[in-house]
Amino acid sequence: QMCIRDRYQRRVHGDQGFVIKMAGSGYDYDVSTLSPEGKIYQVEYAMKATENSSTILGMVCKDGVLLGTEKLIVSEMMVSGSDRRVYSVTKQIGMVITGLLPDGRCLIDRAKEESASFQKQYGIPITGKVLADRIAQFMHMNTIYLWARPYGCNIIIAAFDEFGGPTLHLIDPSGQCFGYFGCAAGKGRQIARNEIEKLGAKNLTCKEAAFNMAKILHKCHEEMKEKKFELEMSWICPETGMTHQMLPKDMQKEMEIRAQETLEKEAMADVQSQIMKNINICLLYTSD
Amino acid sequence: RRPPRSTPKPSSAASDVYKRQVHGDYLIDMESIDWSQPIRDGTTIMAVVYDGGVMLGADSRTTGGALIYNRVSDKIEPIHKRIFCLRSGASAHTQKIAQLCRLYIGQLGSELEETPPVYSAAKIIQSFIYNYKSFLSAAMICAGWDPIKGPQIYTIPLGGTLVRENIATGGSGSAYMSGFCDTHYKAGMTRKECRDFMIQSISLAMFRDSSSGGIIRLLDITKDGVSREYISHDQLPLKQNNYSQSCLLYTSDAADEGLGVDLGGR
Repeated sequence: QMCIRDRYQRRVHGDQGFVIKMAGSGYDYDVSTLSPEGKIYQVEYAMKATENSSTILGMVCKDGVLLGTEKLIVSEMMVSGSDRRVYSVTKQIGMVITGLLPDGRCLIDRAKEESASFQKQYGIPITGKVLADRIAQFMHMNTIYLWARPYGCNIIIAAFDEFGGPTLHLIDPSGQCFGYFGCAAGKGRQIARNEIEKLGAKNLTCKEAAFNMAKILHKCHEEMKEKKFELEMSWICPETGMTHQMLPKDMQKEMEIRAQETLEKEAMADVQSQIMKNINICLLYTSD
Repeated sequence: RRPPRSTPKPSSAASDVYKRQVHGDYLIDMESIDWSQPIRDGTTIMAVVYDGGVMLGADSRTTGGALIYNRVSDKIEPIHKRIFCLRSGASAHTQKIAQLCRLYIGQLGSELEETPPVYSAAKIIQSFIYNYKSFLSAAMICAGWDPIKGPQIYTIPLGGTLVRENIATGGSGSAYMSGFCDTHYKAGMTRKECRDFMIQSISLAMFRDSSSGGIIRLLDITKDGVSREYISHDQLPLKQNNYSQSCLLYTSDAADEGLGVDLGGR
C-alpha cells in the first residue's frame, strides 16, 4: 500500500524517485511536515540558501546605526548601481537583504506597505521593533501552510525612532527576530561576528565605526580574493539628521582604500612576526 | 419650589393613565415629550494645559430635545491610562468613536510596549469623524500626557480637522464662555489656578446654555496619575436657579483693574 505522495513520486520520477535519498528522508517535501526529531526541514533548507550568500552586517554605534553588505560583481557588463541590497523603508528605517534576492525585495515591499499603513492609522512613523516584529510574523506565515514556501533570505532592519533610539534587528527564514547591538549573516558571518564583538561599536561614533565596517567586509571576502566585489554601506547618524542614507560615494571609496591598506599592513605584520619567531628559534640553536 | 407648569395638565380619565407618569412629585405628560429628537450631549466641554499636566472639564447634561435624559452624565471617556477624550454632539456617535479609539490605542500600546502617543489617539478619532462626516455629528477633544511630548490637547471638530492647542473648548456652551476664556486664560498656570479658571468658565456656560447644566466634572492628567472630581450644583459659582446670589471664585489682574467680570447682584 502506497500513500498518495509515494504514488506521485513513482509516477513522476519513476523508480528514480525512491533511489535518491536526501537528508530529510521523506519529511522534507513540504513545509507543513515536522520530522520525528522535531525539525522542519524546508525551513532549514531555506536557511541554507542564505548561508552561502553575500555577507550582511549591522552595528549599533554610540550615535546611530550602520548597515553594510558585500556584493559579488556578477558580470562586467552590469550597470554599477543596479544590484541593490540596501533599501530605505521609511525615512528613518533601512533594510539589507541576503540570500534569494527576489524574495528579499518582496519583503522590502511588504515592509514599505506596513510602514505606510501604520503611519496612516496612528499618525506616527513605525518603530523599528514593531516593523521587525511584523516582518518576522509575515515570514513565519510562509512556514505554516502547505501551499507556500519560506522566504529564503536573511534581513537586517536598522531603525531610529523616538521610543527605542537606534535599533537593529536580524530576521531569518524561520521568522525568528531578535534585537542586536551587532549582527551578521551570510557566508562570512563567523568572521564578521567575531570582529564586531572585538570592536565594541557601542563606544564609537558612526564615522569611526564605518571604517571598521569596511575593514570587516573586506576581511570576510578574503577567501574569494580573485572574484571582484563592491561594498554597499548605509547609516543613520547625526550627519544625516538621523535619517537612513547611503554612505557618500567618496567617503565610501576613501574608507575602502584605507581598509585595504590596513588589512595589508596587518597581514604583513603577521608574516613578519612569524618570521621573527622562526629567526629567534634559529638563533637559540647557533650559539657556540 | 415647584417650577410653573409649561404643559397642559394631563387628563384624569382612567383610560388615559398611560399618558401620565408619576416622577417624584411631578406628573409628566408623556404625549407632550418629543421622543424623535436624537439624544445629544449638548454640552460644554473644555480642556486646558497647565504647568505639569492637563485638566479636562465638562458639564453633565444629556438631552433629547426638551427632555434631559441624564443630568449627571460623564462626558469624559477614558482611552488609555493617560489619554482621555471629551465628547460633544450625538451621544451614540461619540460613544462609538471613543470605543473604537480605545480598541485601536489598546492594540497600539501593546504593539509598541510603551505609552501610546496622544497624537495617535487624536488621529484615530479624526479618521472616523472625517471619513464618515456625512453620517456623524460628533466633535471631540482628545487630551492626555505622553513621555515624549508631555501634556497635549487635540481638538477634532465636526468637519474632521485636527488641531493641537493649549486650551480647547467645545459644545454648544462654549460660545458663551469664549469671551471669558480669552480674557482670563494665561499659559503655564498652576493646578489650582487652572481648576478655578475652568470651574468659573464652565459654570458661566451652564448659566446661559440650555443644553448644558448639572454638575461640573473635572479630570486631571499628570505624569504621576489621573484624578477625578465633580463640583455639585450647590458649589457652583453661578447658581442656576438663583439669580440673586453669585460668587466669584476666580479673580485675575484684569478684574482688579476694573476690566473684568462682575457677575453679581442680579
